[in-house]
Amino acid sequence: MSELALIIEDDEDLAHIFAEALRGVGFEVELLADGQAARERLTKGTAPYLILLDMHIPHVSGGDLLTHVIRKDERLAKAIVIITTADARMGDAYTDLADFVMVKPISFIQLRDLTSRLKPKD
Amino acid sequence: MQKSLIPDINPDPTDSEEIRRRGLIRILALGLLVLSLLALMTIIVFLFIYPEQWHDKEILLAIVSSIAATITSVVIYQINKYSSKTASLLLLLLFVTASIFSDTPEQLADGRSLFIFTIPIAISSLLLFPLASFIFAALSSIIIVFLAHSVPTTPNPVAIVGFFMLAIVSWLSASSLDRALRELRVINANLDQVVIERTQALAESLSRERIEAGRNQAILNCIADGVVVFDRKWNAILANPALKGMLDLPIELIVNKNFRDLIEHPRLSPRSRGLLYAMMEHDTQPPSFRVEWGRKTLSISAAQVYDHSKDGDTNLGTVTVFRDFTREAEVERLKSTFVAIVSHELRTPLNAILGYAEMFKESVYGPMNQKQVNMAERIMKNTQRLLGLINDLLDQAQMEAGKLTIQMAPMKPAELLENVHSVLDQSVQEKGLRLTSEIEDNLPEVINGDSARLQQILVNLVNNGVKFTDHGVLHVRLFCPYSGRWGIEVSDTGRGIPESELPYIFDTFRQVDGAATRVHGGFGLGLSIVKQLVNLMNGEVKVKSKVDRGSTFTVTLPLTVPEADMEKRRML
Repeated sequence: MSELALIIEDDEDLAHIFAEALRGVGFEVELLADGQAARERLTKGTAPYLILLDMHIPHVSGGDLLTHVIRKDERLAKAIVIITTADARMGDAYTDLADFVMVKPISFIQLRDLTSRLKPKD
Repeated sequence: MQKSLIPDINPDPTDSEEIRRRGLIRILALGLLVLSLLALMTIIVFLFIYPEQWHDKEILLAIVSSIAATITSVVIYQINKYSSKTASLLLLLLFVTASIFSDTPEQLADGRSLFIFTIPIAISSLLLFPLASFIFAALSSIIIVFLAHSVPTTPNPVAIVGFFMLAIVSWLSASSLDRALRELRVINANLDQVVIERTQALAESLSRERIEAGRNQAILNCIADGVVVFDRKWNAILANPALKGMLDLPIELIVNKNFRDLIEHPRLSPRSRGLLYAMMEHDTQPPSFRVEWGRKTLSISAAQVYDHSKDGDTNLGTVTVFRDFTREAEVERLKSTFVAIVSHELRTPLNAILGYAEMFKESVYGPMNQKQVNMAERIMKNTQRLLGLINDLLDQAQMEAGKLTIQMAPMKPAELLENVHSVLDQSVQEKGLRLTSEIEDNLPEVINGDSARLQQILVNLVNNGVKFTDHGVLHVRLFCPYSGRWGIEVSDTGRGIPESELPYIFDTFRQVDGAATRVHGGFGLGLSIVKQLVNLMNGEVKVKSKVDRGSTFTVTLPLTVPEADMEKRRML
């Protein structure tokens, strides 16, 4: 069974590219394009193994999701969180809460290589 | 106004001489009047007691003399009002005449009552002129000789000699008195002149000061910025009309009020109130800061006013300048929003292009031939270049808006070099160059710095070197020139920069070859960003270059070491 990765990203193209990178290393991928929808999904259903979280998303910001939802939920305690942002300063502000910070532009190869290292060895 | 400040002084010395003489004659005439009246009264009393004496010739003579003396003294007193000299002459002649009749001619010639003659001799030099005593001595002598001749007897020679002796003494004392008075008058005149000059100078300086003050007021009234001057206790002592318009308050609510009254005005936002109180309480303030006044944004700059004197500087108060910054603040807000939007909106599609190109290259959707892979690589490379340019433009915009800040944190200089190698090694090698680096031993292992911005400085400098070097080596050196500073040095073996261009190489959008003849890509922002970042870090950047030999860029920055590390260093 492959591990679940949640991609929270509002840009369709980037979401597609990130999804391909993660699928490429064997993750099962679920896409969420909206902060509100992401909050609802995170509080129920299967806990993801990895969360790729964009900081700039509609309705509920990535920062709020990280601070008030992901890091407050016991079920998500083990999830690996990679935050993506175009603003390096914002990345710095959440370094303590996230496992990895990737500053846009994010390379397909870079993301693929990183997540492949994070995936548990079968 | 100016004239009234100068006293009306007439420095004519004859006037004071005239006054002196007039005063003297007035006293003498009055004295004579009193004496004559006393003599008259004495005679009348005497006749009451001895009425049989009425027919005595001498008594009659005495009565006539007394009356004549009384009338003459009144006449002299009156003449004295018009001409003191005539009055003096008359008075002296009266004395002489009185002297003639003061005794019998025999006795006078013999010398019994000769002392009477000494009175006109003595005072004539005081009343008329110093030598007048000799004239009266001579006159008295002639009278004596004449009287003696009429009696007949011999005149008393001792008396005549005595007259002339007295004349000499009178002449000497009168002339020395005259001299002393004349000197005194000169001194007085000089003194008067000095007083006049001083008064005039004072009047001039006062009027000059008034003109100056008027001019300053006119300048202050014309300044578009609001100006208010506070004394040491923060009472507003002066404000210009522009301030009134800017704050939309009557001037009475500003001038002669304490600054606190203005700070507590409801139109001021709480944050601004805090800033203004801070300005009042701490003398040191940033050069200028902004406050919100109703819907307006005002930029305020305050400067302490000192009086530089010998005893040191005295604080006189504060000059505060208000500038309406509403429009600029709005533009800045828009600019900063624009920068944030552009930053996100431009990078996101470029990120997508880059991602898709990488997917091509990595054959995600099935195998690709070599040409297709090469094309994907070209797309990636160009996208990277475009991203780099956008980053430069955004950095430039942020720096212009003053939004770019330096965030200091502990960092390792060695990591800077590692990152530079990982970012640039490939492009250096592609151009057939070599990138070498070294860290001097005296540079601490961990220092305080903004690693992201330092990285940017280093990458921009090396990139610049790569761009303008066709063969040879690029060398990066991190060093510690002296205590409290550290440096980054990037040298190349490129074509160098002509001396005439050296002053401009850090200018925005500038490349040594002009726009029409550009050989090298880029906006020409790389070095400008380096310079601005270095300035933000309170450092400096210098360049040395020789055409066809290469260039060396040296950045020096303040060196601080994190405190935990300091402990470690001390223990070692």
